[in-house]
Amino acid sequence: MAEQTQNLPARTRFRLKYRRFFKFEFLLGALLTGVLGTLVILSTWIFPEGGRSVDLLARLTPPFLSWEHPLGTDPLGRDILERVILGGRISFAVGLLSAAGAVLLGTVIGLLAGYYRGIWDTLIMRFADIQLALPFILLAITVIAIVGPGIDRIIVLMIVSQWVQYARLVRSSVLSLREREFVQAARSYGLRDRKIIFGHILPNALGPLIILLTLNVANNILLESSLTFLGLGADPQTPTWGGMLSEGRNYIQTAWWVTVFPGVTIMLTVLGLNLMGDWLRDELDPLGRTSR
Amino acid sequence: MPVIRFIFVRFLQAILVTMAVTLFVAFAIRLTGDPVVMMVSEASNVTEEDLARIRESLGLNQPFLMQYFEFVKNLARGDLGDSFFRGPVWDLISVALPATLLLAATSMFVSILVSIPLGIYSAVHKGGLADQMIRVLSLVGLSFPNFWLGIMLVLVFSITFPFFPASGFDGLASLVLPSVTIGIILTATNVRLVRTTMLEILGAQYVMVARAKGLSERKVIYKHALRNGAIALVTFMGLQFGNLIGGLVVVELVFNWPGMGTLSVEAIAQRDYPLLQATVSILAIMIVGVNLAVDLIYGLIDPRIRVS
Amino acid sequence: MMSTIGGLLSHLPRRATLFAAIVATLPIVGPGVAGAQTILNVAQSRDPQNLDPIDTFRLAWGSVASNIFDGLIHRTEDLELEPGLATSWEFLDDDTRIRFHLREGVVFHNGEPFNAAAVQYTFERLLGEAGAAGPQRANYTSISAIEVVDEFTVDFLMNQPDPVLITKLAGYGAMIVPPQYIEEVGEEAFDMHPVGTGPFQVVEYSPTIGLELARFDGYWNGQAQVDGVNIRFIPEAATRMSELLSGGVDISLDIETTSVDTIRNNANVDLVTVDGPSVTILRFNTSEGITQDPQVRRAITMAIDRPTIIEAMLGGLASPISSAQGSGSFGYDPELSPYDYDPEGARALLAAAGIEPGTEITLDMNNSNDTFREISQVIAAYLSQVGLELNIRSHETSVYFNDILANGRTGEMFLFGWGGWTFDFDNTAYLLYHTGERNNPYIDDAHLNALLELERSTYDVDVREQALQDVAAYAHENALDLPLYNTSTLYGVNQRVEGFVPAPDLRMRYMDITVN
Repeated sequence: MAEQTQNLPARTRFRLKYRRFFKFEFLLGALLTGVLGTLVILSTWIFPEGGRSVDLLARLTPPFLSWEHPLGTDPLGRDILERVILGGRISFAVGLLSAAGAVLLGTVIGLLAGYYRGIWDTLIMRFADIQLALPFILLAITVIAIVGPGIDRIIVLMIVSQWVQYARLVRSSVLSLREREFVQAARSYGLRDRKIIFGHILPNALGPLIILLTLNVANNILLESSLTFLGLGADPQTPTWGGMLSEGRNYIQTAWWVTVFPGVTIMLTVLGLNLMGDWLRDELDPLGRTSR
Repeated sequence: MPVIRFIFVRFLQAILVTMAVTLFVAFAIRLTGDPVVMMVSEASNVTEEDLARIRESLGLNQPFLMQYFEFVKNLARGDLGDSFFRGPVWDLISVALPATLLLAATSMFVSILVSIPLGIYSAVHKGGLADQMIRVLSLVGLSFPNFWLGIMLVLVFSITFPFFPASGFDGLASLVLPSVTIGIILTATNVRLVRTTMLEILGAQYVMVARAKGLSERKVIYKHALRNGAIALVTFMGLQFGNLIGGLVVVELVFNWPGMGTLSVEAIAQRDYPLLQATVSILAIMIVGVNLAVDLIYGLIDPRIRVS
Repeated sequence: MMSTIGGLLSHLPRRATLFAAIVATLPIVGPGVAGAQTILNVAQSRDPQNLDPIDTFRLAWGSVASNIFDGLIHRTEDLELEPGLATSWEFLDDDTRIRFHLREGVVFHNGEPFNAAAVQYTFERLLGEAGAAGPQRANYTSISAIEVVDEFTVDFLMNQPDPVLITKLAGYGAMIVPPQYIEEVGEEAFDMHPVGTGPFQVVEYSPTIGLELARFDGYWNGQAQVDGVNIRFIPEAATRMSELLSGGVDISLDIETTSVDTIRNNANVDLVTVDGPSVTILRFNTSEGITQDPQVRRAITMAIDRPTIIEAMLGGLASPISSAQGSGSFGYDPELSPYDYDPEGARALLAAAGIEPGTEITLDMNNSNDTFREISQVIAAYLSQVGLELNIRSHETSVYFNDILANGRTGEMFLFGWGGWTFDFDNTAYLLYHTGERNNPYIDDAHLNALLELERSTYDVDVREQALQDVAAYAHENALDLPLYNTSTLYGVNQRVEGFVPAPDLRMRYMDITVN
């Protein structure tokens, strides 16, 4: 193999090397997301107690001392490892559901706007402007004060404020596609609008959409932890990463493990998703349309 | 005069957007209860009549639209009105706004300083070991929850090794940790931005031509590519401004930075309607203003994207 | 040279420092690194929002303003009432007239003299139009008029007996303010830059950020030890701790109980505690759901091991209580002891009341209390052992008080924390149990109303004490609420501070403190 590549032109050799890098990036990302995701999916069966078993005698046990609590315990004597894994349920649920909701809503509206233009178009663009001008955290604090805290509300809030970016992306794809030959051709054959949109235009806009989706899942996991940290998320008993960070910050000087492990887990999860997203981008969107 | 019409239309849109944002916030915050109950939450012996009297003295007995109209009228005259609790809103903003701008500008400046050389290097040596390292590291930078990063930095650099103040704004030293917290995330984004922009430009025709003319690679990069890339970079960084402000809110809270984020959150918590309306309007004006400027610059340079 | 500039900088008003520090690009100017002057740096969680005595009822105001103002009465850190700006007082005309003899030679920070006219002005302002726009007035409406007898004698005419009035004159709305100054600068300017007779004067108040005080050399009762006090408002508990541990502040108020271990493990910082007025109780929805049944309420009370919570979660810095008051409160009955922890008994009571194991109940709380966020989960664990599944709903603080509590939209249980600074059960008991009180959405009991009205209408100490003890006993008997604990007031104090005396009611006085 090594011998062969040496005989290739420099450019191709470079290409191959680069390819290998993609694979490494992808493997690392897939490994991180896969391992964490599997644990999280299985967590409900592994830990039927739901991370709520309080043991005041074992509070703030340091990590790496026993098999019983490999990552130590929190201020209520609950196992950190157990809660970190269980906490992933909320993070993954928020990340996936909010992104899925936003992508669905955004795609449909974006397709309509791009294809029919007119009033839809204007509405989306103005809505996007408003969205941009109001920092999400402030919006979230205000809205949560009205509707009450909860993960379901956070998901809805994220969908409501994020569908716009998908709509814009799809719309711009549609705008450039609808004048292309194959769409013109399809139209001249008398195909119905719906068929053209879903059969011809959407598949072509799919690449960038998937990339944005991956990155959004990652971002929303971070966002959820911020909101829970601010006390806007799940109720105190549900283990969540943001909630663990929030509860642990008062112990940071004496019991670093309470905050460090959930923090690192968030980081690894998001890193895994970002690596996958990056790899996808290179694979599906070589022109870099979604790079910003 | 299409240029003037373009500017006029965009300007009008910017005003409308700002109005929409404030109207929404002003309306929403009133749905969450009034400030009077909070005012007396630590008091005893307060009767409903007392509450009604305090409400009246704050002008809360007026209908919502009247209150909002009053706010807009004053705003148009440059008067931000009085906070419910703390005197003129302007006195509060005049402290918080510079603090936030300083923090934002420092973080941005530091991140640009770091990300431009790294991004160019990465693009020029595309596929090399350094490029791979930079890409992965920048992804790591994007993966931190910002508040957690802040807490960790304080743990290490204020408590374990007391180099910098843990919070507040008192001298340059106190600027370091919050701006590093924001800067790391910002840098991660910007490195990637610079890298892709440079890659795009380095593949463009005029760069090929410059290369073909026998110009040195260094000259090609710095003279031709970077100069052309700068506009694109500025644009994209400008578009990040809204995100930057959003991220600032949380970081300000962690560092007790006396900026617009802390002030807004405080205003929400206390239901200080005039203060919240003012902070949100100003943030919105800033964000819309930057976007408008970006649009205008872009539109002037590339007439194809003017209002169609 | 550097230190001179640093010294100068730290004395500029904060707003100026902000820019000066940037422009000067000096090496690190640490907070409080001043030349010859000694500055005490203090952190507290909240901003008083407004320094005017009639506009506030925040504990945060008390921590600040006790250094700026004096009342006619002074209350010491041991909760003894002693002469303040009044040297003596007497009850006349069947207790409808209280005569105060005033201290001579006292001046306000602006040089204005203190006299009977100032007292009259203070209370007429409090009870008049300016006071009507604030929350303080309600506490002093038993006063009908103020009469000036001579320059240093003043009479309070009472329209009803007010047994707690003398205590109330030692705090908050009753702080004496300067008539000329207020007339001169106006109400709004007084809010931000008030003048009093206290040991420190206001240099600069930056809302939400901090307050700078400087020693007042003309103080009537000795001299402050430090040249100035720099108070910073830091809402985040973790950030306050960081500042305390890193030496950024000398004293931190509002220490969360969750931080006790951290301070105890730190060699440079001491934890100073004092019995405080703050009680944490869980209240029941007595008009709906399973908690209508007194048996169920009692079972819940018995299911929770309060001594263990206090030991394990509160570092032992709290005491169990049998009613919503601590042992220092007037009306406290040492004979009344809390229900013992008895999960067996609790299960039996629940079974007798026909409650199925696995029944769900809900606890509502506000989200600004880190310590209780933890304790609520321990309570859930205890309740699950007697077969009750607790859901915890945590609301934004303002929503909680505005809506959930005030409109009686709570679940079976809800959190209530109170710290009556008067250390008199009257204040707490009335707002918890009297029909129609804003903070009492459920209880409507003629017996309690009668007892509360009785104790409120007499100066007879024995009658009052008996009535208040009866209220406590009645609430205990019927398990109207679940008194959890009475927490100590905690301060984190750097070892370089000397002469620190903790104030139980958070009304800190920084006069006798030195910083090395």
